[in-house]
Amino acid sequence: MKIHNKVFGVYGSDVAAEQIASSKYVTAVTPEGLAKACMKDIDVMFHEKLNNGKIMVAAQNFGCNSSREWAPRALKFSGVELVIADSFARIFFRNAINIGFPIIECEDICQFCEEGDELDVDLSTGLIQNLTRKTEKKGTVLPDFLLDIMTVGGLLGKLKAEIEEKSSVAYAGESEGKPE
Amino acid sequence: MNMIEKILARASKKKEVKPGDVVVANVDTLLLHDLSGYITANVFENEVKKDLRYPNRVAMVFDHHFSPPTQQRAEVLERNREFARKYNINLYDCGSGNIHNVGVRGGFVRPGTIVVGSDSHTPVHGTMGCFATGLGNNSNAATVMAYGKAWFMVPKTIKIELTGHTKPGVTPRDVALWLTGQIGEGGAVYRALHFTGPFIKELDVWDRWLFPLITIDVGGKCGFIDPDEKTIEFIKRYTDEPFEVFTSDPDCEYENILRFDISDLEPQVAASPTLGNVKPAEGFAGKPIQWAELGGHGGGRLEDFRQAARILKGRKLAPGVKFNAVPSSRETFEMCLKEGIVEMFHQAGASWFPASTGSNQAINMGAMSKNEAMISTHARNFPGRNGSPEAIMYLSSAYTVAASAVKGCVADPREFMEVS
Repeated sequence: MKIHNKVFGVYGSDVAAEQIASSKYVTAVTPEGLAKACMKDIDVMFHEKLNNGKIMVAAQNFGCNSSREWAPRALKFSGVELVIADSFARIFFRNAINIGFPIIECEDICQFCEEGDELDVDLSTGLIQNLTRKTEKKGTVLPDFLLDIMTVGGLLGKLKAEIEEKSSVAYAGESEGKPE
Repeated sequence: MNMIEKILARASKKKEVKPGDVVVANVDTLLLHDLSGYITANVFENEVKKDLRYPNRVAMVFDHHFSPPTQQRAEVLERNREFARKYNINLYDCGSGNIHNVGVRGGFVRPGTIVVGSDSHTPVHGTMGCFATGLGNNSNAATVMAYGKAWFMVPKTIKIELTGHTKPGVTPRDVALWLTGQIGEGGAVYRALHFTGPFIKELDVWDRWLFPLITIDVGGKCGFIDPDEKTIEFIKRYTDEPFEVFTSDPDCEYENILRFDISDLEPQVAASPTLGNVKPAEGFAGKPIQWAELGGHGGGRLEDFRQAARILKGRKLAPGVKFNAVPSSRETFEMCLKEGIVEMFHQAGASWFPASTGSNQAINMGAMSKNEAMISTHARNFPGRNGSPEAIMYLSSAYTVAASAVKGCVADPREFMEVS
């Protein structure tokens, strides 16, 4: 899976899920409602910047704290195609994979690129190329199982594919050995 | 292997798991709350379209609402109820208490099991010897509800060993707040935190609970305490279901070991904008507050009310201060009644609220204007969480909450206590 676009914004550490999609602004959990609320308390220029590119860059612990799946959904519905961060908070990490929203971890990414830089990112190899600066860097490749979920459009896509194939059946198998 | 690795291995039918492995494991308990239950329900009904396989393993707790403030909120709750009834899952309606307290008291949390939930503070159940972590709606709807399973990446583990005894007026919550600052907000991203050491072992279970509670706010996946006789005795009060106890091997590997002696610690306060902004209470002394609250995830416990009662007894709130007493469960309120705490708080000028999670995100109560500040036992203090992004939330022990309410500003509780 490859993504080619420009960086529209570089953010700091600990951008909280609660602030990416605040309960205050999310009155309707619809794609439009989530997009409208997205990043409102952090960056008032967010939607304007998205006209210049679709790749978001951040430092450590991106999406921290709250478990809301609205956070990656809000970014997805706003038109963000990829988030590259030094590290992701785990529930955000999980939610992004489960909704099929591309993310990749890469150390010191904020020093590697700035707003307006054109990037070529290969999620399967982890290679991140900065076409503007003519430099490259390696991000962390996801385990195959997770990369697979992300690229087939998330957990629902994965289940549909499994049920249609009736193959590997990672989930659909019997759940035994537990007290009812 | 450590405790959580053993639990994950058993639940995924493997002999062994190691950090970095991805497993699909059987899940024992799913806890849903009123803010996202209906969203998970919508994904399940509209997209997954399968049977809910183990309804008895699912509990939905209305804890952000004790009484819907708007028609829109009432409709959200009705949708939650409709789903709960249709699939015959366990429903705890308004006034039942905080989701995690209700989860424990309802018998949904047993050592050796996997507990997942849509609330990000679900890792708190690692206190009871569970592998417990927060999941999003798709995980819950698509795999837990339909198959009783979920995928997990096995995390690396950091051991946190605490020794020493706290000084008078310093509580386990002060230690937990301080520890959050020591580890740092991104200090344990995707890690498991194993809390151990003589200090932890000596604590009662409801006090131990304050440690796995901080896991999510330092970026961790789960926190845990190896179960011992205290844990087993505690859990048996709430359930007759059998369970298997797993403990960490003495020679298990850790990514890192952090050791702290907490003997010199002073009462701590964490002020907005972040949990990492934590200092000894005297660092914020004199900052005005208009609101005080015992409540929230990990707050509103009987232990908290007893602490605050030591300070409120025979005293009045400072002019202009409002004090919200929010029990974490109906049982806690009942104990407060029996111990005379309800009357004592009332006479001091505090107001009692129904068992719930209180001012958490100001869904049902607790919104502030830009000029206001609150001191509470809540778990978070991000700008905008309680109304205006300029309002300030101070987090502290119940002693410090009560002392500050009496003084009208952030105060070190020891000035109100006979410290021997």
